[in-house]
Amino acid sequence: MRETIDETASARTLVLDVPWSGHRAGQHVDVRLTAEDGYQAERSYSIASAPEDPALQLTVERIDDGEVSPWLTEEARAGDQFEVRGPIGGHFSWRVEDGGPLFLVAGGSGLVPLMSMLRHRANRGATEIDARLLLSARTIDDVIYRDELMGLGTGGGAHLAITLTRAQPDGWQGYGRRIDAEMLAEVGSSPSEAPRVFVCGPTAFVESAADMLVALGHDPRAIHAERFGPTGG
Amino acid sequence: MSTDPPTTAAWLDGNAIAGLLAELFGTEMTTAERACASCGARRAVGAHRLYRGAGMVLRCPACDDVAMTIAMSEERRLVTMRGRWTFELGA
Repeated sequence: MRETIDETASARTLVLDVPWSGHRAGQHVDVRLTAEDGYQAERSYSIASAPEDPALQLTVERIDDGEVSPWLTEEARAGDQFEVRGPIGGHFSWRVEDGGPLFLVAGGSGLVPLMSMLRHRANRGATEIDARLLLSARTIDDVIYRDELMGLGTGGGAHLAITLTRAQPDGWQGYGRRIDAEMLAEVGSSPSEAPRVFVCGPTAFVESAADMLVALGHDPRAIHAERFGPTGG
Repeated sequence: MSTDPPTTAAWLDGNAIAGLLAELFGTEMTTAERACASCGARRAVGAHRLYRGAGMVLRCPACDDVAMTIAMSEERRLVTMRGRWTFELGA
């Protein structure tokens, strides 16, 4: 591990040197930790960096009673080594060559693989590809990559919408409720434009967003979903 | 994405075992397409539903029919498959 970057109170980015490069945006890695007694725990984490970035970055949300994430977010230090298998998965991935429009829907740290896609698009200068992100977070302090997101929106031509479901700062211009069909229709490109849709977040979030997207007329086969599971780890 | 230990309470996506499938088949499997033996729906393996317990069960996202089961022990993996699977080996 090269370095760590604190993103929010509970999320930390790990910058890793790995002996491979050229993943596809949206892919994940399996991280395996082995205790001194031989006990092993393995979890999957999305890649946050773009394929063009020089080092691999994972952003890990700490789950307090998890087996792997507390160590990765609190104990791991620069110079530590651990086992990483990847890059993995082709279904939940996107390349500039796949084209757009791109409609990304994120719940909390479900932003991580979608950020890799936005970074990839920005690195390649593919501003002609219509890209929209709808991010749901509890409070403004829970939004990871906040400053970078604002830059991608203002300078990078991506359309960003954020909804804060628990508390909104004074003068907040964004949404302040859970994601609903009206919001998805306002932010996303129309089903007639056949956008590539990627939804990532906790299981219940992905479930309800995907159902609403299908009800709005999006092709179920164009909706790529990645669910975290009930608790994470 | 971050996954959690085995649970029967909820399901994940086929993506979640992309690493295990690659280990078993020697190739990326989540983009492989499966035509369901029960309802005929053709969906990417990564879009199938994954139920995890003592083993793994993949189900059709359209009709819930069983697509694949993987029983695991320390040394062995026992795999059953249903429907028409199309994937490229040696790619």
